[in-house]
Amino acid sequence: MQRLLLIIGLFIGGTTFAQDIVVSGSVTGAENDGLPGVSILVAGSTAGTTTDSEGRYSIRVPSSAAVLIFSYIGYVTNRETVGTRTKIDVVLEIDTKSLEEVVVVGYGTVRKSDLTGSLSQVKAKEINAFPATNVLQAMSGRAPGVQVVQNTGAPGGAVSVRIRGTNSVQGSNEPLYVVDGFPISGSNPTILNNSDIESIEILKDASATAIYGSRGANGVVMITTKRGKSGRTNVDFETSYGIQTLRKKLDLMNAGEYAEFYNLQAANDGLAPRFTPGEIEGLGEGFDWQSLIFQKAPMKTHNLTVSGGNEKTQFSVSASIFDQDGIVIGSGYNRYSLRANINHDISKKLSVSYGATLSRPRIQRRDNGGGNRGGSMISSILSAPPTLTPYNEDGTYRNLATAYPWGSNVLINPLNHINEQTNETVSNKVLANAAMTFKPFDGLAIRVSGGIESSDDRTDSYTTLNFLNSRGSASASVSQAIGLLSENTITYSKTLADDHSFTLLGGFTYQDYITKSLSGSGVGYLSDAQETANLASADVPGIPGTFYSKWALLSYLGRLNYSFKNKYLLTASFRADGASKYSAGTQWGFFPSGAFAWRLSEEDFIKDLPFLSDLKLRIGWGATGSQAIDAYATLNQLNSGKIVLGDALFTSFSPGVRLPGNLKWETTQQTDIGLDASFFRNRLHITADYYIKNTKDLLNTVSLPSSLGFTNTIRNVGAIQNKGFELAVNTTVFDKAFKWDIGANIGFNRNKVVKLYDGKDILGTAINITVVNDVLNILREGDPLGSFFGYTEKGYDENGKIQYVDTNDDGAINQLDKTIIGNPNPDFIYGFNSTMSFKNFELNVFLQGSEGNDIFNLSSVNQTLDYGFGLNMPREVYLDNWTPANPNAKYPVISRTTATFISDRFVEDGSYLRLKNIQLGYNIPFQNWNINWIRNVQVYASAQNLLTFTKYSWWDPEINSYGSGNSIRQGIDHYSYPTAKTVTFGIRANF
Amino acid sequence: MKKLLFLVPLIILVSCEDALIEKPKSLAVETFYNTAMEVESAVNAIYGPLRSDVCLGGLYPAQMEAYVDYAYGRGSYGILSEFQGLDPTNITRTGQMWDQFYLSIRNANLVIANAPKGSKISQEDITKYVAEARFLRALAYFYLVRNYGGVMLRTVDNMTEQSLPRSTEEAVYELILDDLTAIENELPDTPSIAGRPSKWAAKSLLADVYFYRAQYAEAREKALEVIQSGNYSLVQVTVPEDFEKIVGPDVVVTTEEIFFLKYTRQAGYGFQLPMFAHHPGSGLHGAGGYYAHYTDSQSNPVFKEWNNNDLRKSYNWYNYNIGLGANSYLCKKFSDSEAIGASGAGNDNPLYKYSDILLLYAEADTRVSNGPTADGLEKLNMVHRRAYGNNPTQPSAIDFKLGDYNMQTFLDLVLKERGYETQYEGKRWLDLKRTGRVKEIIKAAVGKDVADKHLLWPIPLSELNFNTVLDPVRDQNPGY
Repeated sequence: MQRLLLIIGLFIGGTTFAQDIVVSGSVTGAENDGLPGVSILVAGSTAGTTTDSEGRYSIRVPSSAAVLIFSYIGYVTNRETVGTRTKIDVVLEIDTKSLEEVVVVGYGTVRKSDLTGSLSQVKAKEINAFPATNVLQAMSGRAPGVQVVQNTGAPGGAVSVRIRGTNSVQGSNEPLYVVDGFPISGSNPTILNNSDIESIEILKDASATAIYGSRGANGVVMITTKRGKSGRTNVDFETSYGIQTLRKKLDLMNAGEYAEFYNLQAANDGLAPRFTPGEIEGLGEGFDWQSLIFQKAPMKTHNLTVSGGNEKTQFSVSASIFDQDGIVIGSGYNRYSLRANINHDISKKLSVSYGATLSRPRIQRRDNGGGNRGGSMISSILSAPPTLTPYNEDGTYRNLATAYPWGSNVLINPLNHINEQTNETVSNKVLANAAMTFKPFDGLAIRVSGGIESSDDRTDSYTTLNFLNSRGSASASVSQAIGLLSENTITYSKTLADDHSFTLLGGFTYQDYITKSLSGSGVGYLSDAQETANLASADVPGIPGTFYSKWALLSYLGRLNYSFKNKYLLTASFRADGASKYSAGTQWGFFPSGAFAWRLSEEDFIKDLPFLSDLKLRIGWGATGSQAIDAYATLNQLNSGKIVLGDALFTSFSPGVRLPGNLKWETTQQTDIGLDASFFRNRLHITADYYIKNTKDLLNTVSLPSSLGFTNTIRNVGAIQNKGFELAVNTTVFDKAFKWDIGANIGFNRNKVVKLYDGKDILGTAINITVVNDVLNILREGDPLGSFFGYTEKGYDENGKIQYVDTNDDGAINQLDKTIIGNPNPDFIYGFNSTMSFKNFELNVFLQGSEGNDIFNLSSVNQTLDYGFGLNMPREVYLDNWTPANPNAKYPVISRTTATFISDRFVEDGSYLRLKNIQLGYNIPFQNWNINWIRNVQVYASAQNLLTFTKYSWWDPEINSYGSGNSIRQGIDHYSYPTAKTVTFGIRANF
Repeated sequence: MKKLLFLVPLIILVSCEDALIEKPKSLAVETFYNTAMEVESAVNAIYGPLRSDVCLGGLYPAQMEAYVDYAYGRGSYGILSEFQGLDPTNITRTGQMWDQFYLSIRNANLVIANAPKGSKISQEDITKYVAEARFLRALAYFYLVRNYGGVMLRTVDNMTEQSLPRSTEEAVYELILDDLTAIENELPDTPSIAGRPSKWAAKSLLADVYFYRAQYAEAREKALEVIQSGNYSLVQVTVPEDFEKIVGPDVVVTTEEIFFLKYTRQAGYGFQLPMFAHHPGSGLHGAGGYYAHYTDSQSNPVFKEWNNNDLRKSYNWYNYNIGLGANSYLCKKFSDSEAIGASGAGNDNPLYKYSDILLLYAEADTRVSNGPTADGLEKLNMVHRRAYGNNPTQPSAIDFKLGDYNMQTFLDLVLKERGYETQYEGKRWLDLKRTGRVKEIIKAAVGKDVADKHLLWPIPLSELNFNTVLDPVRDQNPGY
């Protein structure tokens, strides 16, 4: 560490020295346009600068013998001896060889023009366009075929990502996240801060992901954090302040309408009126429960990055604070993180690098989602009668469950959740990676690296004595996860006879992951003072719990990249994975891939077409796998439980309800055909891909007759298919004083369950909201995964009750009448980005959308049809319900005996188009005032989710209440924490 | 530093293949069931599913109490009080119960199959634990056969076979009787701890099985053995609150307990049924309540005609306005104002209590004797006297008189008394079904016609869809 400080100190110090001559000038590109950000170094020293936004620069050099080195990515480096000049204008020539950037692929990098697979890149500017809790949110709409759905609007809530659809039933469908080469174990890389990221490469087709073998089937997201570059030290400072607000309130009945509504219910049920006409008159608007728990919430970010270095050592160090309050009072998320990346060349042959991120996220939760009849916080604010207020006259919380005898028994005053219940998780997360690279001779690199991923979480939850029916309850749990990684690779590159260049990669890796947890709880406390600090003082201490799990993965990998005259490109890769999770004898899986690309634009017959700059055809095939099971899933383990005898607990041991079996990998084979084309001197880029993914040996839950005692087992049966088309277009419309760049992408995916065990349906877990307790999602051969499965309505009977279609004509309405009633998978998802700049102003507009997906509005089951419990409801129910005079009303007769099933009524169109971000920035022209130590300062105002166009009736269409890695219960909105819209002001400064 | 470079790969190579062997730090099926302690914990696992919230601990009795003559279901249980069969929500619930009963049966079969092979267990212990397992297996099948009719017969011989046909009701009863007659004398005279079966529990269950099958002579005989054991007596009460000493949450065991599912006031280990009974405003349950059942003091004839001097009436019910008028009553037989969470009430589920056996005897004896006998009458009077605050064993002014009844009126009287005595215990529906007069009694009490499809639950899709020898139409119960 001391050495590190010393090194940093040296280079920061090194930038000030004797100053003799000031040289200034401008650097322009081929079209005589000023090039901003060109690096200018004084040869043999660490002194340097970069050009400003107009391409101008000014630098002090020690003597007339000094040599300036002008370098810029994509251009040929230029060296100029100062001599007697004080003004040096330089024209840089385009370097055709390095015209395209290098992109990160598995275990290496490759020039974009040499790519044979399908890959999307999201760059720092897009990733950091607006503040987000989770870096994955920044990927949404940026790359074709990458669907990002937040499961909830709560701060710190998980985000689920699907690349080219859903492959697995049993296993996770989340992609593999690889951070600076480290394949991390968690589903979301929450350790990272958006501003720390240099780029995200999304590997989509099998020829790109097969190098990750058994973890590549869902795609691979390569995240690269910022690294230092040699040259002048860069200081980047960013700060932003945002205000989040509820996007919209639901239009509910006011107090007067509520009273009339429940008088109608009483009348329909032959009961005495709930309210007298006199009472109704005085009610008016009543209390707005939505305004009770939602607030305007601030979101703040601060980030400082210092980077730089010389030819031998480069570093990047950053510190970040992210601090978000939720729009629900009491909820919030904050994260402090520190990161450092250092590269150092010990000699010409030996170099070392080290990168580490330390992060301390803290999530404060409030009761979030689910429940029914006002039993959860979100459901209570919608259900609470507007005729009632939150407080009694003596200042205590009103008990809403007993306020009306005909009201819901579980309706809870939301203040209980806001003020009397806490749930907080604080984590310490470390991701560290060190590598040593040995290059004994030109072309050969031996790299040995090791990494540690560690997460140490503690969750505390406490319910006070003041919470309804509470005697005080506390629980605390810790979970420790540690993963070790060792990677050892050899790379050899060689060009033979000028035309044949190849790169060979070989390596072996080992990774393991151990999870341990410990939890304790207690109920019944004398005082709230102790919170979770003294579980032992509980009247009834809970049973402590512990958990242990370990998996290990051992792999061999190899890859050949071959290029002939830069015209024909070939990639072949291979990986063998041995995983502890699988049965002995089937632990090893082999994942090959091959891809071929043809750069037609290098062919003579096409080379001289004036409008065409680049044209490449790609075709690739590969096999990848999915580690779809948990550790120990193939072992006959006994589960423990507790029973009561006398008045004490006794332990029981028995097998679980899942019958273990011999299991092997599930394998996904993907074929991808793609085209990359550039036109008009690279002003228009088009990338198009068509793919077919077939997953076989699908690890599937096979239901067993439940009388067996084992209700299911897992087997390698079944097949699933995803196929689709992706298109990305990027174009520069204007590039003079007024610049306008447009990027658009769209991804179509069709998902189909091809084969299931014995052709039998697989049902999702039942949804239980009391009024309905039934299965909603289904896997059925020939239909998309997770389709909604329910009854179809056919109007009302003579009493205004809902009638259902008897699909099998057996005279009865029962489970055999359920059919597919909706599809949570979108037809296509898309994004559109436009950046206009003029002089110092920059306007960015980013739109993102999803089309054709259905949402099952589970919240509306209770909220629009459960009439026996005094729940408040949308005004629409009051205005349009069945009466003999209104037989085609939207809602049935308002009666406590109105029953409902899982039906097509609740399936809504979840399509949306959203103005995800709009930003107006202004670059303060410090250079006009000759302040040169400031390179660039941008102030901006932006808004996130400002506009949303959707037919979805509830709060927000970006929702997936039961979304998680392996859930087939997709597309459900169940009293979810709503998404906020945000207005942000910020500064980005570079010194 | 360079040394490290070469060391790292070496370390990995050495540890490699070993790393792929799983060491889960858990117990494996293959090496279990050897010691008495291990087998006992495996026996305990038979209780787990039976006593769970989604089975006898909550959903089962809550379901049963929605189709009785003295009360009504409300909310999602309301539709059951129409007696027109089960709706999807309740089919899901009964399906969950099915799974739990069969999970218990599997766990029992594991004990019956594996305990005798134990390497470090005495023959005496093997006998004891196998007997307990067979008792519990018979209990689970008894619930299944009464509610579903003939079901798949899972025994140690076919416990790994995936698909089995439905057996006949007769075959199921054969297994139940075979189990119970084999072990009725192998179980201990007094259980090692309350909640495990004694031989008297086995005889009571056996009596009930015979009784349900109208084998009254055998039922009478087994009931008499239990009564004559002298192990049981009725606890005397003088005021309604005294019933708290029998069914209250703090009671550990009483002299009335023959076989109860035991619960304790701890989150997740308590009796869930009380949660279904109460209104949150009543304060009778620590976690509020679902008030899923109610009755009406004016419109329900069973309740209306019930003598107010019966202490059970004021102990069991409380007036509470649930928005259905002023005459609504909720059941407070099982209450725990200090319950910890929905599944945290300390009350026990009284599967077999002494009064059940006394009344069973009274009826069986009458049927065997073709008319009321003094012996049978006395058993009825014991229960009746206690309910009115009298000494159960001393003649009293409120005693029924032999001369007032013929066989039919006496049987009606016993059936009525059984209704009072077993309220909210989930027993009434099967008791009415047993008599063959369920349609008539329900029509008279609550004015509903019982549909035929209401008499049996549907075989759940979790069975029908995956049991390949079943025909989803032919093997389903009528009406579903």
